[in-house]
Amino acid sequence: MDRVVLLVRIAIRNLLASPINLLIGGLILLGTMVFVLLGGMLDSLNQSMQKSVVGSLAGHLQIYSAKSKDELALFGQMGNFPELPAINDFPKIQEALSKVENVKVVVPMGISAAIITSGNIVDGTLEKLRNLYKARDGQPGDPKLEGVPREELALRIASEIAHVRQIIKVLRGDVEKAMADMMNAKSVEPRNIEALQRVEQDAFWADFEKDPYTNLEFLENRIAPIVTDTSLVFLRYVGTDLDKFQKSFDRMRIVKGSPVPQGQRGFLIADLMHEDQMKLKTARRLDKIKDARANGRLIATDDELKRFVKENTHQTRELVLQLDGIKTAALVKTLQDALPSKKDSIDALLSELLATTDENFDQRFTQFYELVVPQVQLYRVKVGDMLTIKAFTKSGYIQNVNVRVYGTFAFTGLEKSPLAGATSLMDLMSFRELFGYLTSDKAEELKEIQRNTGARTVSRENAEDELFGDGAEVIAEATPGIIDPDAALAGTGRKLREEDLIRRVYTQQQLDDGVVLHAAVMLEDPTRMDETIERITQVSNEQGLGIQVVSWQKASGLLGQIINVFRALLFVAVGIIFIAAMLIMYLSVLMATLQRTQMFGTMRAIGAQRGLILSMVLVESLVLGLLFGGLGMLAGAGAISLIATQGIAAPNDVMYFFFSGPRLIPQLSTWPLVVALVIILVVTVGSTLLPALMAMRVSPLRAMQADE
Amino acid sequence: MRNALLLTLSLTLAAPAFAADLTKEEMHKLLVELDDRQRNGGDYKALAYLEQKEKDKADVVRELMIFRRDSDDKLMLLFTKPKSEEGKGYLRLDKNLWSYDPGTGKWERATERERIGGTNSRRSDFDESRLAEEFEPKFEGEEKLGKFETVKLELKVKDGVDVAYPVVKLWIDKVNHNILKRQEFALSGRLMRTAYYPKWQKLFSESKKADVWFPGEMRFFDEVEKSNSTLVLMKTIDLSKLDQNMFTKAWLESKSR
Repeated sequence: MDRVVLLVRIAIRNLLASPINLLIGGLILLGTMVFVLLGGMLDSLNQSMQKSVVGSLAGHLQIYSAKSKDELALFGQMGNFPELPAINDFPKIQEALSKVENVKVVVPMGISAAIITSGNIVDGTLEKLRNLYKARDGQPGDPKLEGVPREELALRIASEIAHVRQIIKVLRGDVEKAMADMMNAKSVEPRNIEALQRVEQDAFWADFEKDPYTNLEFLENRIAPIVTDTSLVFLRYVGTDLDKFQKSFDRMRIVKGSPVPQGQRGFLIADLMHEDQMKLKTARRLDKIKDARANGRLIATDDELKRFVKENTHQTRELVLQLDGIKTAALVKTLQDALPSKKDSIDALLSELLATTDENFDQRFTQFYELVVPQVQLYRVKVGDMLTIKAFTKSGYIQNVNVRVYGTFAFTGLEKSPLAGATSLMDLMSFRELFGYLTSDKAEELKEIQRNTGARTVSRENAEDELFGDGAEVIAEATPGIIDPDAALAGTGRKLREEDLIRRVYTQQQLDDGVVLHAAVMLEDPTRMDETIERITQVSNEQGLGIQVVSWQKASGLLGQIINVFRALLFVAVGIIFIAAMLIMYLSVLMATLQRTQMFGTMRAIGAQRGLILSMVLVESLVLGLLFGGLGMLAGAGAISLIATQGIAAPNDVMYFFFSGPRLIPQLSTWPLVVALVIILVVTVGSTLLPALMAMRVSPLRAMQADE
Repeated sequence: MRNALLLTLSLTLAAPAFAADLTKEEMHKLLVELDDRQRNGGDYKALAYLEQKEKDKADVVRELMIFRRDSDDKLMLLFTKPKSEEGKGYLRLDKNLWSYDPGTGKWERATERERIGGTNSRRSDFDESRLAEEFEPKFEGEEKLGKFETVKLELKVKDGVDVAYPVVKLWIDKVNHNILKRQEFALSGRLMRTAYYPKWQKLFSESKKADVWFPGEMRFFDEVEKSNSTLVLMKTIDLSKLDQNMFTKAWLESKSR
């Protein structure tokens, strides 16, 4: 012990004697501090991201078919989504996994994408009018109109007709503007101008009731095409057992509306998507300006906010097209009084209202929501609406389903994250219908049609020889036949069946017993993830479940690899610092050894053992490394504590997902401290060993000769 | 000399078709003839079989009825099989193409590029032929297709006309003036689809007082997804008169009730 103390005292004295040691120590301090600080932050980032991924979609583990050629990537892989083979026997898998220790619950899923198309504003208004006439005439149409009294239907029809006539007035203005512009004049077809002239006449509307359906078709085919702003919404969704999903993913909360009743078909839209893509654009821009101002940004100095204001003042048409004549007149009067303004056109008044500045923004925002919004449709799809979702099935053809929108949802802390807010939720039964899985009955029906037709297969390679080679006869006489559509379609009842499906309540067994594409597995103890993966793989192999299992990190595709990339970058950066420290340390210790050759020789001459010399040089380096490394660790830990008091604010909405909320609160982790200590030991001993061995071998004779 | 005369005479009789290098007028006349042979003038009704084959996927199989009123320029497609597709349909009125799904009760606008029933067929494959009206032809030479001598034309879409493919190449039988092969290109020049018409059938039409020609078999090979192909077979043709109010949304909706 005395010897160690002596060596340490000598080491400290020698270290203080040479200024280069301060440089080496500084490097060790910097490297250790960076490593501890960034290592801790990376760990916190990893934990936050795990919370986001696990809590929003993936669960701790994901299972999918072992036959899949694509890897599961819940957040997409380079813009593509994996093509996953169906898991046909989910109940068996669920039962087997529920017996695996540490498995809490298995949530069936199927991720897919669909399109919601809606025609332009004229198409939408005419569809409403058509449905009102159908309801009046007792024909099936919009289920929401069932049971509405005839008098009320008549009032609604009159209101929609007034709306259509107002739209026609706006279209007349558009056409005149286009005609005045030489560049656009060609885009206006003369037949559309004729059609517009016809529907502007009172006579057209006076006779409208005589044959409303024919007149509606005239409007749909000749007037609606004048408006070209048809919109498409791309929708990513997960078909799942909604009840089980909400219970298992406890960060999920309903924002608008209500959950889908247990066992029923229904749709929940991700709230961010509902706001971003389904809300009136003017209102959404006003919301964004409000948020930005709350965060200290100003319209006067911020280019993006200036652009929002400019777009709002120029794009009043989407508001005007939603108003009928009566609403327009009322809103003109209201805005004239509220602003106040003497302008008399609705376009000009709306532009004035929306010409917001930092001074008037709060007042105008309130006026917009209180005066304008009640007159228009704020969201294209509202809670309670029946949504028609169109998707490509597994077989490649397009399938549509109607699902009722019960509400919107978000994950607590991730409300603003575009990644967490991009996926909506659909009930499992509707998902299966859209997926287009062929049941054995359906497959047999198709085979029967094929058999009855007896078409021959011709390959692409031999097509020309087979079809037009020797012996081919191209011309044939046809025999006329009789085609009766009524006979071919008798007894369909499809519409009724669909309506019934919407109202039906499914049992848990019906929900479980069907095709799924993948499933989330929630664990009791997430720290035992690796051993649970091994156990599930073993159970799958033993029982022939045909599944593969991956961690949340792997299931999230490229997103999950981001942490590994950051971690690799951290090791590279810290590695460079420590290699520099090691080189400088090696050279300085080598120089110091050479300078002290005489001293080592003298020490040997007076009886010092080689081991003492070796220990002396090594302890010097160790003391240097541990002293400055320790200071670096303290500095890193201090920096983490300091940052943790405020947290790091997410610089943009995308980072909400990585931070699992608006701020990242870094925490000190153990592993960077341990790894830093090991690195320090390796660096110091590694860089000193060679000079220390040289010092050890100095002979007393050589030292004295050198002196002479 | 006698042999030479006989040869000239036999060639003249056997090939009323084309001399080399057709003039613009001759090409236009040919397109008008191709369109006219398929036009009925009255009503037209067909029962067709539709089959799409794709790699690693189950075959898409459909039966549908095609209703046309050429005099009014109207088209309707109504799916009858399988049961899950029954009552779905398309309706073209003027330049509007609508698709209808009785499951949702909704009408949606479709474009010229709509894949009919999810197959690689387009609206124009079932509709009245309008080559002369929609395209400008260019002569591309003569080619042998199997045992058939054909003349090859390149057609480019006219300004302001919306078609599924803006550039089309046709191989037309020199003797019988039937289209045997058709290749369709995107604006970029990329080949998108190759079609073969190995069966042409004719039927006497009372309204036209002449034969109406129609392709009894159409085979489409996808040139982007090379393993995909589509087959259309016309099973029955019926030229009897259709309901006056048939080409309406209300009529198609009523078939699913």
